[in-house]
Amino acid sequence: MRKTCPTTAFVLLVCAVGAFAQTVERAEALWRAHDYEGANNEFKALVAAHPQNADYRVRWGNLFYERFNATEAGNLYQEALKIDPKNARALLGMAQLLGDNYDAKANDFAAQALESDPKLYQAHELMAKVALEDDNQKKAESEADAALAIQPDAVDAIAVKASIDLLADKESPWVAKIGNRGKGYETIAYFYVINRRYEEGIQFYRKAIAATPDLFSAHSQLGINLMRLGREDEAKKELDLAYENHFRDAATANSLTLIDSYKKFDTFRTPTTVLRLNKKEEDVLRPYFQEEMLRAMATYEKKYKFKLNVPLQIEVYPDHDDFAVRTAGLPGLGGILGVTFNGIIAMDSPSGRPPGSFHWATTMWHEMSHAYVLSLTNERMPRWFTEGLAVHEETAATGHSDWGDRLSPEIIAAIRDKKLLPVADIDRGFVHPTYPSQVIVSYYQAGKICDYISERWGESKLLDIIHEFAKNRPTVDVIRDQLGMEPEAFDKDFLAMIDKETGKTVAGFTEWTKQVRELNQLAKDGKNDEVIAKGRAIEGLYPDYVEAGNVYTFIADACLKKDDKACAIEELGRYSKVGGRDPDTVKKYGKLLADAGRPKEAAAALERLNFIFPQDAELHDRLGNLLLETGDAPGAIVEFQALIAMHPIDVAGSHYNLARAYKAAGRKDQAREEAVSALEAAPNFKPAQKLLLEVTSEGEK
Amino acid sequence: MNWKTLVLCVAAASPAFGATYILTVAGLGGEPDYEQRFTMLATDTDKILRAGGQTDRIVETLKGADATRAKVEAALNRIASQAKPQDAFVLMMIGHGTFDGTEYKFNLPGPDLSATELAGLLNKIPAGRQLVVDMTSSSGGAASVLKKENRTVITATKSGMEKNATVFARYWVEALRDPAADVDKNETISALEAFQYAEKKTAQFYSEQKRLATEHPQIDDQQRAAAFPLLKFGSASAVVTDPAKRELIAKKDDIENKIDALKYQKSLMAPDDYKKQLTGLLLELARAQEAIDK
Repeated sequence: MRKTCPTTAFVLLVCAVGAFAQTVERAEALWRAHDYEGANNEFKALVAAHPQNADYRVRWGNLFYERFNATEAGNLYQEALKIDPKNARALLGMAQLLGDNYDAKANDFAAQALESDPKLYQAHELMAKVALEDDNQKKAESEADAALAIQPDAVDAIAVKASIDLLADKESPWVAKIGNRGKGYETIAYFYVINRRYEEGIQFYRKAIAATPDLFSAHSQLGINLMRLGREDEAKKELDLAYENHFRDAATANSLTLIDSYKKFDTFRTPTTVLRLNKKEEDVLRPYFQEEMLRAMATYEKKYKFKLNVPLQIEVYPDHDDFAVRTAGLPGLGGILGVTFNGIIAMDSPSGRPPGSFHWATTMWHEMSHAYVLSLTNERMPRWFTEGLAVHEETAATGHSDWGDRLSPEIIAAIRDKKLLPVADIDRGFVHPTYPSQVIVSYYQAGKICDYISERWGESKLLDIIHEFAKNRPTVDVIRDQLGMEPEAFDKDFLAMIDKETGKTVAGFTEWTKQVRELNQLAKDGKNDEVIAKGRAIEGLYPDYVEAGNVYTFIADACLKKDDKACAIEELGRYSKVGGRDPDTVKKYGKLLADAGRPKEAAAALERLNFIFPQDAELHDRLGNLLLETGDAPGAIVEFQALIAMHPIDVAGSHYNLARAYKAAGRKDQAREEAVSALEAAPNFKPAQKLLLEVTSEGEK
Repeated sequence: MNWKTLVLCVAAASPAFGATYILTVAGLGGEPDYEQRFTMLATDTDKILRAGGQTDRIVETLKGADATRAKVEAALNRIASQAKPQDAFVLMMIGHGTFDGTEYKFNLPGPDLSATELAGLLNKIPAGRQLVVDMTSSSGGAASVLKKENRTVITATKSGMEKNATVFARYWVEALRDPAADVDKNETISALEAFQYAEKKTAQFYSEQKRLATEHPQIDDQQRAAAFPLLKFGSASAVVTDPAKRELIAKKDDIENKIDALKYQKSLMAPDDYKKQLTGLLLELARAQEAIDK
């Protein structure tokens, strides 16, 4: 470039400005013409020629941002900020990127952008959106007004104001002001969706498309939300349309892949349930999932005094990435295991996670609580109460104190550091977490609030609160009216309860950590008596800890090394009762009980594993035999059927066991069929031969 | 011909089996956890093999500091001098192995033992039926060197390039003590049954742990492995030698052959017809067995 220009400084400047205009125009023309590669090359050349120009980098970053490459966009914005720390557009770019990920720091960058350029109304719009995501309507309103004061036609500000009204079930004069700008309707749709009001979201995505037919982001989101509600044919059409028109973000591409993968699933229907399972695991999972679904439905119908008017659908994904596609773009889903879209629940399969790390039945009951409560309230429930109630039900409704989540080190740290939020603000912890574990901590806190309300005001108070929220009332009003106290007073009492319940663990956590390290060393040194003594002394300090390196297992192992099985049984009993879920440890406990002549307790111990990791042939084999031994032939049938569904190594033995269970249940014809199957695999299997003769009628013999 | 028929044929054609020499070697662990694990697996194997006090089984186990190259060589040379052609020989190798792209080495305390050196030692053993189960990392790199006409070679990995520590040995030992491994219920665990058990459990381990499988067990001859009894329990062959029931046994063999033939035709038959015929034959077989057992 320099070679073609005269050498005076003035001419150089003119030349440079001219080159900028020409090249940027060309880059952006290519961009508009969907020649993204060409535009990228133009920007690349421009930045290479002008390495100190922050604006070029920001514009190039904007191209990446629009083309779904947030990493490159972020790098370019950061580079621009290194050159010009107050570059308002770069700061806005960073705010947008962070806002897309529900990162609380988005606000900070937007505020800095406004300091650099007070007329940058888009920064006010972004802050308005972030505030509304937090359900902070007052701030959302004021930021939207600030944007409109600078730019009266600012479409996102108008859409935020419209959303505030619409979410409160009010008519909004702001909707009409959007006019034919699809982007505004798309923003409203977005707010409906993140408030789990999917049907209304879909309506507004349709409206966005009607206003701006080539708004392919809206086509994509319409497709994704139709898919969430199980309307896959139309969803696929919309997603295909977006994809074919160059809108190929990860959510669009992955959703299309997911829809294609549905051919790997089978759907099982009853009058009230729809269960979609992957073909490779449906035979094993179906009985357990179906039974729990029906049990949960019966429980919730009674508890919430409400019946769903459509069959409840549960989809179970063995591949976590498939499940993750269902949740993409939604807030508050860190480490999520299940998600509910109206009457459709999508969740991980137990096979999607390492054995022992996931209690699928807890997740199912949690999500089913959502399905009932959101339907009952027509989706008018704050996030914190919906989640808190579902966490509460994991143990309260299921009747199993060992289900649900345990008090984790992250939660202990949050309590210790006084990071629990006031009840009025707790939604913020779900949507815009300010530290990595805040979503998990918020689930815990919301669950504990519901436990506390149940304990102090009675379980029925929770239902009263549900009905109040159904009227679309804010949290502070509901707390005042239903609990008869100010939210601040509630917070004080609640924290006192938390302190009473967890104070010993929180205060002793550092010491406990140190002691467990010492326990580990004692175990390595084979000092069994000391392991038992020390372990017993500290296990009460943090009884909820049942993960790797837990005290219960150290003690039980030391007991076994001393050949003291009674001691090991006692310790593993504690481990199981408090919610320990490692399959090998629980199976060890079951075997010790069985060997000690306690088959009923052994069966009960192993039955817990069916809700954790049912894809375990050894579990079904052992449990089936224990149930048969204790006279529960129908239970044994279920277990041996599951065993056969897992294509076990011992085909003959498995069919023979099922034949025995059928025989014990008085189902001779099925016993005979299974005996034949056993003998087909191993014709000389004597016990199966004997059984075949026993269940064959005299005439046939 | 299916496996069952083949096994019967081999059994019928073979003269009375001689002794079985079994050498188990647990190599160098390198770190306490592995050392403990390898020693424990070798100890368990030794215990299982010695249980029942079968005199036709000569068991030797080298582990820990004893598992040196000199002692392995001495043990193999001893077997070479004692075994006869009608005998069987089993070598089980537990531990770590290495492969440099050319040569596999079994890691032992002190000097390692290469596949070529091991093959040389094994080739001196006159036992007519041999089984080598190399369960170390990189063991696939030894397979082609150890291969021999009368020898079945099982390796934990498909090539020398699978270099991570293996879990196959754990499940191989489990197969020896789990009656479920005896899939044909003939009260004998064959080399093939043990292999298939351990192979399935190994694959399951990686799948459940959501880990990329870093070992893919291999067997060079399934037919020969099916006919190689590793462990017998119960009274498997007692009836076969009872002359008083020869007629019943002949009848039973005839029914078994019919069942094999029917199973071979299964895919060509209507399911109901197959099931009816199968049930009839299985009932006949069960009645014949009942009469034999009286």
